[in-house]
Amino acid sequence: MKITDEVRISDNGFVFNSKTGDSFNVNPTGLELTKLIAQGHDFDTIKSLFLEKYELDDLTFEKDFYEFCALIKYHQITTTEDPLDFK
Amino acid sequence: MDKLKYEKPTISKINAGMPSKFGLPVKQKVISEIDGIKVSSLMEQYGSPLFVISEKTIREVHAEAKRAFETRYPKVQFAWSYKTNYLDAVCSIYHDEGSWAEVVSGFEFEKALSNGVNGSQILFNGPDKSEADLIMAIENNACIHIDHFDELYLLIETSRKLQKKARVAIRVNLDAGIYPIWDRFGFNYENGDAWNAINRIMLAESLEMIGLHTHIGTYIMAQSAYAIAASKLANLYMAIHRKFDYWLKYIDLGGGFASKNTLKGAYMPGSETCPSFDEYAEAISNALISSEIPHENLPVLFLETGRALIDDAGYLLTTVIANKRLNDGRRSMVIDAGVNLLFTSFWYNLGVYPTRELGHAEESTIYGPLCMNIDVVRDAIVFPQVKTGEQLVIERVGAYNITQSMQFITYRPNVVLIDMEGKTHIIRKKESLETFKNSELNPKRN
Repeated sequence: MKITDEVRISDNGFVFNSKTGDSFNVNPTGLELTKLIAQGHDFDTIKSLFLEKYELDDLTFEKDFYEFCALIKYHQITTTEDPLDFK
Repeated sequence: MDKLKYEKPTISKINAGMPSKFGLPVKQKVISEIDGIKVSSLMEQYGSPLFVISEKTIREVHAEAKRAFETRYPKVQFAWSYKTNYLDAVCSIYHDEGSWAEVVSGFEFEKALSNGVNGSQILFNGPDKSEADLIMAIENNACIHIDHFDELYLLIETSRKLQKKARVAIRVNLDAGIYPIWDRFGFNYENGDAWNAINRIMLAESLEMIGLHTHIGTYIMAQSAYAIAASKLANLYMAIHRKFDYWLKYIDLGGGFASKNTLKGAYMPGSETCPSFDEYAEAISNALISSEIPHENLPVLFLETGRALIDDAGYLLTTVIANKRLNDGRRSMVIDAGVNLLFTSFWYNLGVYPTRELGHAEESTIYGPLCMNIDVVRDAIVFPQVKTGEQLVIERVGAYNITQSMQFITYRPNVVLIDMEGKTHIIRKKESLETFKNSELNPKRN
Protein backbone atom coordinates (compact mmCIF):
# COMPACT_ATOMS: atom_id res chain seq x y z
CA MET A 1 0.00 0.00 0.00
CA LYS A 2 1.38 3.43 -0.90
CA ILE A 3 0.09 6.95 -0.92
CA THR A 4 -0.91 8.02 -4.44
CA ASP A 5 1.54 10.40 -6.13
CA GLU A 6 -1.15 13.03 -6.59
CA VAL A 7 -1.89 13.29 -2.87
CA ARG A 8 -0.42 16.10 -0.78
CA ILE A 9 -0.53 16.11 3.01
CA SER A 10 -0.05 19.28 5.04
CA ASP A 11 1.32 19.31 8.57
CA ASN A 12 -1.97 20.55 10.02
CA GLY A 13 -4.03 17.60 8.77
CA PHE A 14 -5.25 18.85 5.42
CA VAL A 15 -5.09 16.24 2.65
CA PHE A 16 -5.60 17.11 -1.00
CA ASN A 17 -5.94 14.64 -3.85
CA SER A 18 -5.28 16.44 -7.14
CA LYS A 19 -6.35 13.38 -9.11
CA THR A 20 -9.92 13.43 -7.81
CA GLY A 21 -10.08 17.05 -6.65
CA ASP A 22 -11.18 15.91 -3.20
CA SER A 23 -9.84 17.34 0.01
CA PHE A 24 -9.98 15.90 3.50
CA ASN A 25 -9.32 16.63 7.14
CA VAL A 26 -7.50 14.06 9.23
CA ASN A 27 -7.19 14.19 12.99
CA PRO A 28 -3.71 14.13 14.61
CA THR A 29 -3.51 10.32 14.86
CA GLY A 30 -4.89 10.02 11.34
CA LEU A 31 -2.21 12.44 10.14
CA GLU A 32 0.48 10.47 11.91
CA LEU A 33 -0.72 7.23 10.36
CA THR A 34 -0.94 8.75 6.89
CA LYS A 35 2.59 10.09 7.16
CA LEU A 36 3.97 6.78 8.39
CA ILE A 37 2.26 4.99 5.51
CA ALA A 38 3.65 7.61 3.11
CA GLN A 39 7.12 6.95 4.48
CA GLY A 40 6.67 3.32 3.51
CA HIS A 41 6.52 1.78 6.98
CA ASP A 42 4.77 -1.55 7.26
CA PHE A 43 1.98 -2.46 9.67
CA ASP A 44 4.23 -4.02 12.33
CA THR A 45 6.53 -0.99 12.47
CA ILE A 46 3.60 1.44 12.70
CA LYS A 47 1.96 -0.69 15.37
CA SER A 48 5.03 -0.78 17.58
CA LEU A 49 5.49 3.00 17.17
CA PHE A 50 1.89 3.61 18.21
CA LEU A 51 1.90 1.17 21.12
CA GLU A 52 5.05 2.80 22.42
CA LYS A 53 3.65 6.30 22.15
CA TYR A 54 -0.05 5.93 23.10
CA GLU A 55 -2.19 4.34 25.80
CA LEU A 56 -3.41 1.65 23.45
CA ASP A 57 -3.74 -2.12 23.13
CA ASP A 58 -2.67 -4.01 20.04
CA LEU A 59 -6.17 -5.24 19.06
CA THR A 60 -7.71 -1.76 19.19
CA PHE A 61 -4.86 -0.45 17.07
CA GLU A 62 -5.24 -3.26 14.57
CA LYS A 63 -9.00 -2.66 14.20
CA ASP A 64 -8.57 1.10 13.84
CA PHE A 65 -5.59 0.79 11.49
CA TYR A 66 -7.37 -1.44 9.02
CA GLU A 67 -10.54 0.65 9.20
CA PHE A 68 -8.50 3.77 8.47
CA CYS A 69 -6.68 2.03 5.61
CA ALA A 70 -10.01 0.94 4.11
CA LEU A 71 -11.25 4.52 4.26
CA ILE A 72 -8.20 6.11 2.66
CA LYS A 73 -8.27 3.44 0.01
CA TYR A 74 -11.93 4.19 -0.64
CA HIS A 75 -11.04 7.88 -0.99
CA GLN A 76 -8.29 6.91 -3.49
CA ILE A 77 -5.55 8.28 -1.26
CA THR A 78 -3.68 5.00 -1.38
CA THR A 79 -3.09 2.40 -4.03
CA THR A 80 -2.12 -1.20 -3.63
CA GLU A 81 0.55 -1.95 -6.19
CA ASP A 82 0.20 -5.67 -5.92
CA PRO A 83 -3.46 -6.60 -5.44
CA LEU A 84 -2.38 -9.72 -3.59
CA ASP A 85 -0.10 -7.78 -1.26
CA PHE A 86 -1.95 -8.05 2.03
CA LYS A 87 0.77 -7.27 4.50
CA MET B 1 7.60 8.93 30.06
CA ASP B 2 3.80 8.74 30.30
CA LYS B 3 2.05 7.57 27.21
CA LEU B 4 -0.23 9.94 25.33
CA LYS B 5 -4.00 9.58 25.25
CA TYR B 6 -5.02 7.76 22.09
CA GLU B 7 -7.65 9.03 19.70
CA LYS B 8 -9.01 6.85 16.94
CA PRO B 9 -7.61 7.99 13.56
CA THR B 10 -10.29 9.63 11.42
CA ILE B 11 -10.55 11.19 8.01
CA SER B 12 -13.44 13.30 6.81
CA LYS B 13 -14.07 14.56 3.35
CA ILE B 14 -14.51 18.30 2.98
CA ASN B 15 -17.66 19.09 1.02
CA ALA B 16 -17.23 22.62 -0.25
CA GLY B 17 -20.37 24.42 -1.35
CA MET B 18 -22.69 22.13 0.64
CA PRO B 19 -23.59 24.12 3.74
CA SER B 20 -25.47 22.29 6.45
CA LYS B 21 -29.13 23.28 6.44
CA PHE B 22 -28.86 23.78 10.19
CA GLY B 23 -25.74 25.97 10.02
CA LEU B 24 -22.85 25.15 12.29
CA PRO B 25 -22.79 21.70 13.84
CA VAL B 26 -24.49 21.61 17.21
CA LYS B 27 -23.03 20.17 20.35
CA GLN B 28 -23.69 16.46 20.63
CA LYS B 29 -26.48 15.81 23.12
CA VAL B 30 -25.61 13.34 25.84
CA ILE B 31 -28.06 11.44 28.06
CA SER B 32 -26.09 9.99 30.95
CA GLU B 33 -28.92 9.67 33.45
CA ILE B 34 -32.68 9.41 33.62
CA ASP B 35 -34.44 11.04 36.57
CA GLY B 36 -31.13 11.22 38.39
CA ILE B 37 -30.25 7.55 37.90
CA LYS B 38 -27.16 6.74 35.87
CA VAL B 39 -27.86 4.87 32.64
CA SER B 40 -24.88 2.63 33.35
CA SER B 41 -26.27 1.51 36.71
CA LEU B 42 -29.71 0.84 35.19
CA MET B 43 -28.14 -1.39 32.54
CA GLU B 44 -25.89 -3.09 35.05
CA GLN B 45 -28.89 -3.95 37.20
CA TYR B 46 -31.49 -4.80 34.55
CA GLY B 47 -29.51 -5.73 31.44
CA SER B 48 -29.41 -4.46 27.89
CA PRO B 49 -31.50 -3.58 25.99
CA LEU B 50 -33.83 -2.05 28.54
CA PHE B 51 -37.00 0.00 28.34
CA VAL B 52 -37.19 2.69 31.01
CA ILE B 53 -40.33 4.67 31.84
CA SER B 54 -40.18 7.85 33.88
CA GLU B 55 -43.19 8.35 36.17
CA LYS B 56 -42.05 11.92 36.77
CA THR B 57 -42.24 12.74 33.07
CA ILE B 58 -45.62 11.03 32.72
CA ARG B 59 -47.08 13.14 35.51
CA GLU B 60 -45.43 16.37 34.36
CA VAL B 61 -46.61 16.04 30.75
CA HIS B 62 -50.09 15.03 31.88
CA ALA B 63 -50.26 18.06 34.15
CA GLU B 64 -49.17 20.29 31.28
CA ALA B 65 -51.88 18.92 28.98
CA LYS B 66 -54.53 19.16 31.69
CA ARG B 67 -53.60 22.74 32.49
CA ALA B 68 -53.69 23.70 28.81
CA PHE B 69 -57.28 22.45 28.41
CA GLU B 70 -58.76 23.15 31.82
CA THR B 71 -57.74 26.80 31.70
CA ARG B 72 -59.60 27.19 28.40
CA TYR B 73 -62.67 24.97 28.69
CA PRO B 74 -64.91 24.33 31.72
CA LYS B 75 -65.41 20.56 31.53
CA VAL B 76 -62.50 18.39 30.39
CA GLN B 77 -61.92 14.69 30.91
CA PHE B 78 -58.88 12.75 29.68
CA ALA B 79 -59.19 9.04 28.91
CA TRP B 80 -55.94 7.09 28.74
CA SER B 81 -55.48 5.44 25.36
CA TYR B 82 -54.66 1.87 26.37
CA LYS B 83 -53.23 0.80 23.04
CA THR B 84 -50.51 3.45 23.29
CA ASN B 85 -49.04 1.75 26.35
CA TYR B 86 -51.10 -0.67 28.37
CA LEU B 87 -48.63 -1.82 30.94
CA ASP B 88 -50.60 -1.93 34.18
CA ALA B 89 -48.07 0.26 36.02
CA VAL B 90 -48.35 2.93 33.33
CA CYS B 91 -52.15 2.85 33.15
CA SER B 92 -52.37 3.11 36.94
CA ILE B 93 -50.42 6.37 36.88
CA TYR B 94 -52.84 7.89 34.37
CA HIS B 95 -55.85 6.67 36.36
CA ASP B 96 -54.26 8.12 39.47
CA GLU B 97 -54.06 11.43 37.60
CA GLY B 98 -57.81 11.19 37.00
CA SER B 99 -57.87 9.72 33.50
CA TRP B 100 -60.62 7.39 32.41
CA ALA B 101 -59.76 4.46 30.12
CA GLU B 102 -60.09 4.42 26.33
CA VAL B 103 -59.99 0.87 25.03
CA VAL B 104 -60.34 -0.70 21.59
CA SER B 105 -60.81 -4.41 22.29
CA GLY B 106 -62.27 -6.86 24.75
CA PHE B 107 -58.73 -7.56 25.99
CA GLU B 108 -58.09 -3.89 26.74
CA PHE B 109 -61.54 -3.61 28.35
CA GLU B 110 -60.69 -6.49 30.69
CA LYS B 111 -57.33 -4.87 31.43
CA ALA B 112 -59.00 -1.58 32.36
CA LEU B 113 -61.44 -3.39 34.67
CA SER B 114 -58.55 -5.27 36.28
CA ASN B 115 -56.80 -1.93 36.83
CA GLY B 116 -59.78 -0.90 38.93
CA VAL B 117 -61.42 1.44 36.42
CA ASN B 118 -65.15 1.74 36.95
CA GLY B 119 -66.95 0.36 33.87
CA SER B 120 -68.86 3.62 33.41
CA GLN B 121 -65.51 5.38 32.97
CA ILE B 122 -64.40 3.21 30.05
CA LEU B 123 -64.76 4.54 26.50
CA PHE B 124 -65.03 1.55 24.19
CA ASN B 125 -63.77 2.35 20.69
CA GLY B 126 -62.64 0.19 17.80
CA PRO B 127 -64.14 -1.62 14.83
CA ASP B 128 -63.99 -5.09 16.40
CA LYS B 129 -66.47 -5.58 19.23
CA SER B 130 -67.82 -9.10 19.49
CA GLU B 131 -71.17 -9.90 21.05
CA ALA B 132 -69.32 -11.03 24.19
CA ASP B 133 -67.43 -7.72 24.26
CA LEU B 134 -70.69 -5.78 23.93
CA ILE B 135 -72.30 -7.78 26.72
CA MET B 136 -69.32 -6.99 28.96
CA ALA B 137 -69.55 -3.30 28.01
CA ILE B 138 -73.32 -3.06 28.57
CA GLU B 139 -73.16 -4.86 31.89
CA ASN B 140 -70.40 -2.54 33.04
CA ASN B 141 -72.25 0.57 31.87
CA ALA B 142 -69.39 1.60 29.57
CA CYS B 143 -69.62 4.29 26.88
CA ILE B 144 -69.74 2.29 23.65
CA HIS B 145 -68.56 4.22 20.59
CA ILE B 146 -70.31 2.61 17.66
CA ASP B 147 -68.16 2.20 14.56
CA HIS B 148 -70.53 0.87 11.88
CA PHE B 149 -74.17 -0.08 11.23
CA ASP B 150 -73.59 -3.81 11.74
CA GLU B 151 -72.29 -3.02 15.21
CA LEU B 152 -75.25 -0.71 15.82
CA TYR B 153 -77.75 -3.47 15.02
CA LEU B 154 -75.79 -6.09 16.99
CA LEU B 155 -75.84 -3.69 19.92
CA ILE B 156 -79.61 -3.14 19.65
CA GLU B 157 -80.10 -6.91 19.56
CA THR B 158 -77.72 -7.55 22.47
CA SER B 159 -79.11 -4.84 24.70
CA ARG B 160 -82.68 -6.09 24.04
CA LYS B 161 -81.62 -9.60 25.06
CA LEU B 162 -79.99 -8.28 28.22
CA GLN B 163 -82.94 -5.98 28.87
CA LYS B 164 -80.46 -3.30 29.81
CA LYS B 165 -79.90 0.04 28.14
CA ALA B 166 -76.56 0.50 26.43
CA ARG B 167 -74.89 3.91 26.77
CA VAL B 168 -73.60 4.82 23.32
CA ALA B 169 -71.92 7.44 21.21
CA ILE B 170 -71.13 7.28 17.53
CA ARG B 171 -67.78 7.66 15.97
CA VAL B 172 -67.94 10.31 13.26
CA ASN B 173 -65.45 10.61 10.44
CA LEU B 174 -65.19 13.96 8.75
CA ASP B 175 -63.19 16.20 6.49
CA ALA B 176 -61.09 18.33 8.82
CA GLY B 177 -59.09 19.85 5.99
CA ILE B 178 -56.17 17.47 6.28
CA TYR B 179 -54.94 14.60 4.17
CA PRO B 180 -55.53 11.70 4.39
CA ILE B 181 -59.11 11.77 5.62
CA TRP B 182 -59.55 8.88 8.01
CA ASP B 183 -62.83 7.52 6.72
CA ARG B 184 -62.53 3.85 7.58
CA PHE B 185 -63.78 4.31 11.14
CA GLY B 186 -67.23 5.47 12.12
CA PHE B 187 -69.99 7.22 10.18
CA ASN B 188 -69.36 10.02 7.73
CA TYR B 189 -70.45 13.53 8.62
CA GLU B 190 -70.56 15.08 5.17
CA ASN B 191 -72.62 12.42 3.36
CA GLY B 192 -75.25 12.18 6.11
CA ASP B 193 -74.33 8.70 7.43
CA ALA B 194 -73.65 10.07 10.89
CA TRP B 195 -77.03 11.83 11.02
CA ASN B 196 -78.79 8.63 9.87
CA ALA B 197 -77.02 6.63 12.59
CA ILE B 198 -77.96 9.22 15.21
CA ASN B 199 -81.61 9.08 14.18
CA ARG B 200 -81.62 5.28 14.34
CA ILE B 201 -80.04 5.32 17.79
CA MET B 202 -82.39 7.98 19.14
CA LEU B 203 -85.34 5.79 18.10
CA ALA B 204 -83.91 2.63 19.66
CA GLU B 205 -85.43 2.08 23.06
CA SER B 206 -82.56 -0.05 24.30
CA LEU B 207 -79.88 2.56 23.50
CA GLU B 208 -79.08 5.78 25.32
CA MET B 209 -77.17 8.21 23.16
CA ILE B 210 -74.76 10.15 25.35
CA GLY B 211 -72.00 11.50 23.14
CA LEU B 212 -70.27 12.13 19.85
CA HIS B 213 -66.78 10.98 19.04
CA THR B 214 -64.26 11.58 16.31
CA HIS B 215 -60.64 10.69 15.79
CA ILE B 216 -59.33 12.60 12.82
CA GLY B 217 -55.96 10.88 12.52
CA THR B 218 -52.61 10.49 14.15
CA TYR B 219 -49.63 12.81 14.57
CA ILE B 220 -51.78 15.74 13.42
CA MET B 221 -49.52 18.76 13.05
CA ALA B 222 -52.27 21.29 12.30
CA GLN B 223 -54.31 22.33 15.30
CA SER B 224 -56.76 23.97 12.90
CA ALA B 225 -57.97 20.48 11.91
CA TYR B 226 -59.23 19.97 15.46
CA ALA B 227 -61.08 23.27 15.31
CA ILE B 228 -62.90 22.10 12.16
CA ALA B 229 -63.68 18.72 13.74
CA ALA B 230 -64.97 20.36 16.94
CA SER B 231 -67.21 22.73 14.95
CA LYS B 232 -68.71 19.88 12.97
CA LEU B 233 -69.42 17.85 16.09
CA ALA B 234 -70.91 20.97 17.70
CA ASN B 235 -73.26 21.25 14.70
CA LEU B 236 -74.40 17.64 15.19
CA TYR B 237 -74.75 18.25 18.92
CA MET B 238 -77.07 21.19 18.26
CA ALA B 239 -78.97 19.33 15.52
CA ILE B 240 -79.74 16.53 18.00
CA HIS B 241 -81.00 19.07 20.52
CA ARG B 242 -83.21 20.78 17.95
CA LYS B 243 -84.79 17.59 16.68
CA PHE B 244 -85.05 15.56 19.89
CA ASP B 245 -84.94 18.27 22.58
CA TYR B 246 -82.11 16.36 24.15
CA TRP B 247 -78.64 17.36 25.30
CA LEU B 248 -75.82 14.89 24.86
CA LYS B 249 -73.30 14.59 27.67
CA TYR B 250 -70.01 14.79 25.82
CA ILE B 251 -68.01 15.48 22.69
CA ASP B 252 -64.91 13.31 22.32
CA LEU B 253 -62.19 14.60 20.01
CA GLY B 254 -60.10 11.44 20.20
CA GLY B 255 -56.35 11.55 20.12
CA GLY B 256 -53.79 12.26 17.46
CA PHE B 257 -51.79 15.09 19.00
CA ALA B 258 -48.23 14.93 17.68
CA SER B 259 -45.38 14.07 20.00
CA LYS B 260 -42.00 15.77 19.73
CA ASN B 261 -40.52 12.97 17.67
CA THR B 262 -39.37 13.86 14.16
CA LEU B 263 -41.09 12.20 11.22
CA LYS B 264 -38.86 10.70 8.54
CA GLY B 265 -38.43 13.20 5.75
CA ALA B 266 -39.29 16.17 7.97
CA TYR B 267 -37.15 19.23 7.33
CA MET B 268 -37.13 20.46 10.92
CA PRO B 269 -37.13 18.50 14.18
CA GLY B 270 -40.53 17.66 15.64
CA SER B 271 -39.70 19.47 18.86
CA GLU B 272 -39.62 22.71 16.80
CA THR B 273 -42.58 22.11 14.54
CA CYS B 274 -45.30 20.26 16.47
CA PRO B 275 -48.06 22.27 18.11
CA SER B 276 -47.99 22.51 21.90
CA PHE B 277 -50.87 21.39 24.11
CA ASP B 278 -51.74 25.07 24.47
CA GLU B 279 -52.13 25.44 20.73
CA TYR B 280 -54.35 22.35 20.41
CA ALA B 281 -56.38 23.44 23.44
CA GLU B 282 -56.83 26.96 22.09
CA ALA B 283 -58.12 25.68 18.74
CA ILE B 284 -60.53 23.12 20.22
CA SER B 285 -61.86 25.27 23.06
CA ASN B 286 -62.41 28.28 20.82
CA ALA B 287 -64.33 26.18 18.31
CA LEU B 288 -66.64 24.73 20.96
CA ILE B 289 -67.15 27.91 22.94
CA SER B 290 -67.82 30.01 19.85
CA SER B 291 -70.25 27.42 18.42
CA GLU B 292 -74.04 27.68 18.74
CA ILE B 293 -74.02 25.62 21.94
CA PRO B 294 -75.32 27.68 24.88
CA HIS B 295 -72.69 28.04 27.56
CA GLU B 296 -74.81 26.29 30.21
CA ASN B 297 -75.17 23.24 27.94
CA LEU B 298 -71.57 22.88 26.85
CA PRO B 299 -70.69 19.19 26.66
CA VAL B 300 -67.84 17.58 28.57
CA LEU B 301 -64.79 17.55 26.30
CA PHE B 302 -63.21 14.10 26.22
CA LEU B 303 -59.65 13.66 25.00
CA GLU B 304 -58.01 10.32 24.27
CA THR B 305 -54.49 11.63 23.90
CA GLY B 306 -51.88 8.88 24.03
CA ARG B 307 -48.76 9.50 21.98
CA ALA B 308 -48.21 13.12 23.03
CA LEU B 309 -48.64 12.22 26.70
CA ILE B 310 -46.23 9.33 26.99
CA ASP B 311 -43.68 9.42 24.18
CA ASP B 312 -41.27 11.60 26.18
CA ALA B 313 -41.47 9.35 29.23
CA GLY B 314 -40.04 6.27 27.49
CA TYR B 315 -36.37 5.48 26.84
CA LEU B 316 -34.69 2.45 25.35
CA LEU B 317 -31.19 1.80 26.64
CA THR B 318 -29.01 -0.17 24.28
CA THR B 319 -25.42 -1.31 23.80
CA VAL B 320 -23.14 -1.17 20.77
CA ILE B 321 -22.34 -4.65 19.50
CA ALA B 322 -20.12 -3.80 16.54
CA ASN B 323 -18.81 -1.12 14.22
CA LYS B 324 -18.63 -1.75 10.50
CA ARG B 325 -17.66 0.03 7.32
CA LEU B 326 -20.07 -0.49 4.45
CA ASN B 327 -18.78 -1.10 0.95
CA ASP B 328 -18.93 2.59 0.06
CA GLY B 329 -16.97 3.63 3.13
CA ARG B 330 -20.02 4.70 5.11
CA ARG B 331 -19.85 4.00 8.79
CA SER B 332 -22.38 1.74 10.42
CA MET B 333 -22.83 0.13 13.76
CA VAL B 334 -24.88 -2.68 15.22
CA ILE B 335 -26.75 -2.22 18.51
CA ASP B 336 -28.57 -4.80 20.60
CA ALA B 337 -32.07 -3.28 20.12
CA GLY B 338 -33.81 -3.81 16.81
CA VAL B 339 -36.90 -2.67 14.98
CA ASN B 340 -38.89 -5.46 16.63
CA LEU B 341 -38.70 -3.33 19.80
CA LEU B 342 -38.92 -0.01 18.00
CA PHE B 343 -41.98 -0.08 15.82
CA THR B 344 -41.97 3.71 15.62
CA SER B 345 -38.53 3.67 13.98
CA PHE B 346 -40.37 2.93 10.73
CA TRP B 347 -41.79 6.46 10.66
CA TYR B 348 -39.64 8.49 13.06
CA ASN B 349 -36.01 9.49 12.99
CA LEU B 350 -35.62 8.44 16.60
CA GLY B 351 -33.13 10.36 18.72
CA VAL B 352 -30.16 8.13 19.56
CA TYR B 353 -27.63 9.61 21.99
CA PRO B 354 -24.42 8.55 23.70
CA THR B 355 -24.17 8.49 27.48
CA ARG B 356 -20.93 10.48 27.57
CA GLU B 357 -19.07 13.03 25.46
CA LEU B 358 -17.39 11.30 22.56
CA GLY B 359 -15.10 12.48 19.82
CA HIS B 360 -15.31 12.74 16.06
CA ALA B 361 -18.79 12.32 14.60
CA GLU B 362 -19.63 11.20 11.10
CA GLU B 363 -22.67 10.09 9.19
CA SER B 364 -23.61 6.61 10.28
CA THR B 365 -26.27 3.96 9.92
CA ILE B 366 -27.47 2.22 13.05
CA TYR B 367 -28.58 -1.38 12.61
CA GLY B 368 -30.37 -3.57 15.10
CA PRO B 369 -29.26 -7.09 16.01
CA LEU B 370 -31.80 -8.98 13.92
CA CYS B 371 -30.59 -11.10 11.02
CA MET B 372 -32.91 -9.13 8.73
CA ASN B 373 -32.01 -6.48 6.20
CA ILE B 374 -34.88 -4.24 7.30
CA ASP B 375 -33.49 -3.92 10.81
CA VAL B 376 -32.37 -0.30 10.48
CA VAL B 377 -32.94 1.82 13.58
CA ARG B 378 -31.49 5.03 12.09
CA ASP B 379 -29.94 5.83 8.76
CA ALA B 380 -27.90 8.93 8.02
CA ILE B 381 -27.42 10.03 11.61
CA VAL B 382 -24.35 12.03 12.48
CA PHE B 383 -22.93 10.01 15.32
CA PRO B 384 -19.62 9.95 17.20
CA GLN B 385 -17.17 7.07 17.06
CA VAL B 386 -18.06 4.46 19.65
CA LYS B 387 -16.41 1.29 20.82
CA THR B 388 -18.20 -2.00 21.29
CA GLY B 389 -19.94 -2.06 24.65
CA GLU B 390 -20.67 1.68 24.53
CA GLN B 391 -24.06 2.43 26.06
CA LEU B 392 -26.57 4.50 24.11
CA VAL B 393 -30.00 5.94 24.86
CA ILE B 394 -32.90 6.13 22.42
CA GLU B 395 -35.39 8.73 23.59
CA ARG B 396 -39.11 9.32 23.06
CA VAL B 397 -40.11 5.70 22.72
CA GLY B 398 -42.90 5.64 25.32
CA ALA B 399 -45.75 5.43 22.81
CA TYR B 400 -46.59 2.26 20.88
CA ASN B 401 -43.15 0.66 21.04
CA ILE B 402 -43.89 -1.53 24.04
CA THR B 403 -47.41 -2.47 22.98
CA GLN B 404 -46.40 -3.10 19.39
CA SER B 405 -43.04 -4.71 20.13
CA MET B 406 -42.75 -8.11 18.59
CA GLN B 407 -41.10 -11.19 19.98
CA PHE B 408 -38.74 -12.07 17.19
CA ILE B 409 -35.36 -13.80 17.17
CA THR B 410 -34.47 -12.57 20.65
CA TYR B 411 -36.30 -12.19 23.95
CA ARG B 412 -38.04 -8.93 24.67
CA PRO B 413 -36.28 -7.00 27.44
CA ASN B 414 -37.21 -5.84 30.92
CA VAL B 415 -39.32 -2.71 31.24
CA VAL B 416 -38.40 -0.64 34.27
CA LEU B 417 -40.29 2.23 35.87
CA ILE B 418 -38.52 4.98 37.77
CA ASP B 419 -41.02 6.17 40.36
CA MET B 420 -41.44 9.62 41.87
CA GLU B 421 -38.96 8.80 44.63
CA GLY B 422 -36.34 7.75 42.12
CA LYS B 423 -36.72 4.05 42.90
CA THR B 424 -36.69 1.53 40.07
CA HIS B 425 -39.20 -1.27 39.58
CA ILE B 426 -39.47 -3.95 36.90
CA ILE B 427 -42.95 -3.50 35.45
CA ARG B 428 -42.63 -6.19 32.79
CA LYS B 429 -40.15 -9.01 33.05
CA LYS B 430 -37.72 -9.96 30.34
CA GLU B 431 -38.89 -12.95 28.34
CA SER B 432 -37.20 -16.30 28.76
CA LEU B 433 -37.52 -19.73 27.23
CA GLU B 434 -40.08 -20.47 29.94
CA THR B 435 -42.30 -17.66 28.60
CA PHE B 436 -42.69 -19.61 25.40
CA LYS B 437 -42.76 -23.08 26.88
CA ASN B 438 -45.73 -22.01 28.99
CA SER B 439 -47.86 -21.29 25.96
CA GLU B 440 -46.51 -23.78 23.40
CA LEU B 441 -47.68 -27.35 22.97
CA ASN B 442 -45.77 -30.02 21.09
CA PRO B 443 -47.98 -32.99 20.19
CA LYS B 444 -44.90 -35.03 19.18
CA ARG B 445 -43.49 -34.85 22.66
CA ASN B 446 -46.58 -35.15 24.87
